[in-house]
Amino acid sequence: MPAGLAVVLGLLYLWVSGQELDSIERRTLNADYLVTRVTDHLWLTVLATVLVVAIAIPLGVLLSRPAARWLSPVVLALANLGQATPAIGLLVLLTMLFGVGFGIALAGLVLYAVLPVLRNTIVGIQQVDPALKEAARGMGMTRAQVLWRVELKLAIPVILAGLRTALVLAVGVATLATFVNAGGLGDLIVNGIKLNRTPVLVTGGVLTACIALLVDWVGGVAEEFLRPKGI
Amino acid sequence: MLKPRHFVAAMLALALTACGSGANEVEQGSLGQELQGATFTVGSKDFSESIILGYITIEMLRAHGATVNDKTNIKGSTNTRNALLSGEIDMYWDYTGTGWITYLNKTEPLPDPQQQYEAVAKEDLEANNVVWGQPAPLNNTYAFAIRKEKGDELGVRTLSDLAELAKNKPEEATFCIESEFSTRDDGWPGVTEAYGMNIPKENVKLVDLGVVYTETKKGETCNFGEVFTTDGRIASLNLTVLEDDKRFFPNYNAALTLRKETADKHPQVLQFLNPVAAKLTNEVMQELNAKVDAEGHQPKKVAHDWLVQEGFLK
Repeated sequence: MPAGLAVVLGLLYLWVSGQELDSIERRTLNADYLVTRVTDHLWLTVLATVLVVAIAIPLGVLLSRPAARWLSPVVLALANLGQATPAIGLLVLLTMLFGVGFGIALAGLVLYAVLPVLRNTIVGIQQVDPALKEAARGMGMTRAQVLWRVELKLAIPVILAGLRTALVLAVGVATLATFVNAGGLGDLIVNGIKLNRTPVLVTGGVLTACIALLVDWVGGVAEEFLRPKGI
Repeated sequence: MLKPRHFVAAMLALALTACGSGANEVEQGSLGQELQGATFTVGSKDFSESIILGYITIEMLRAHGATVNDKTNIKGSTNTRNALLSGEIDMYWDYTGTGWITYLNKTEPLPDPQQQYEAVAKEDLEANNVVWGQPAPLNNTYAFAIRKEKGDELGVRTLSDLAELAKNKPEEATFCIESEFSTRDDGWPGVTEAYGMNIPKENVKLVDLGVVYTETKKGETCNFGEVFTTDGRIASLNLTVLEDDKRFFPNYNAALTLRKETADKHPQVLQFLNPVAAKLTNEVMQELNAKVDAEGHQPKKVAHDWLVQEGFLK
């Protein structure tokens, strides 16, 4: 995968350097501008993912406990709402309330990406065979031990699948950060569309796609390592 | 935010216009039958001003007997332009500066409106077979705006004043601009150079155009916002537009564009619309835009009422 991406980026570089760029294109297609935008984009994605993991997984675990099960439709409905609202609308609404900037873009991303992880955590834990939990209890494990050693372990593949989905979503939605002064590759894409400068648009699009694929690949590698042996 | 009461009012207005649409529409051939038998498809870009100009054209052509298909509100400048080139639409209003910079890929605009119009009309005809009608006085160009009371407090009226302010009180010279504006030669890089402004990066926020207006009104993120001179929100948000005293910003005069074969086959189209273009000034357009954007009227009705008011339609 990384080799494939390197080839794509190499081709992109060759194609762009073969073009004659005018002053508008030179202002965006230079190392300084591109590195800042890619860094912004990666930061947004990574921070959003960390926050999503920190919020959605504990919340999902909590909602899968028998005592809190009645709450889960309510919370899931809210999470659905976050996902169903058009991301750009969500960002502009947040901006009207709280002003512009990196934090707002981050909040929008987290609201948007929380659903897949939350839902997969709940489903992942619920699908664990009750017989296994009973057996673990029968062996003398406490409830916490059952959760930690049996339920979560068995739910990991499903949770990670949700996380990978969330990551790829986040990379895509992070392009909208450009509308609220949070930078990212959306700067290039919007600029390219508005000014009809194809090399700018293509560079922004290809870089975003490469980041999405790379992030998905990293997610796949992480899954290999975190997956309990024998599943 | 649409309040429930406003929403009900808007729905009522919608129902009323639907019932009474006959009254707001021109009768075909009411001014003559010069274009009888001709069928045109009129397009427009996706913002109120362009749609209003589209309906002005539709009404005028219908009044002279033509059958007109309404293809207004096409998403994006480039798509609209491509629709014209491919024959999907027959005409729409565009701006001289847009033609020069976006379609003809020039980077240096011409300072004089008439010269700019002549240059774009000549090159576009040669290169793409597109004819440009007479340009309207309305110049929908870039400008910086500030909320009125803050502008008075800082004593900033022109862009030269703004450059002074940036020197003396750099903390007040904060800007909200679009990402597009930030890279154009006729945008941020050019205007800061022309006026000798040296604004640190952290004082310039890149946001969406809608956010530029709301943030400029609030004045927390930025004091100065990049706006378009004919935008109805300038008046409705009570913003002051700073004068471009060195005439840096390019000219974006609106003009009807059509393919050469349409213009040759039906010379009456431009003959009927050129006098209308002459009446469209910045002030007129701001008012018409505000009727749509701030008061919620339908572009079609706004176009019709203005044509009647100016005596173009009976």
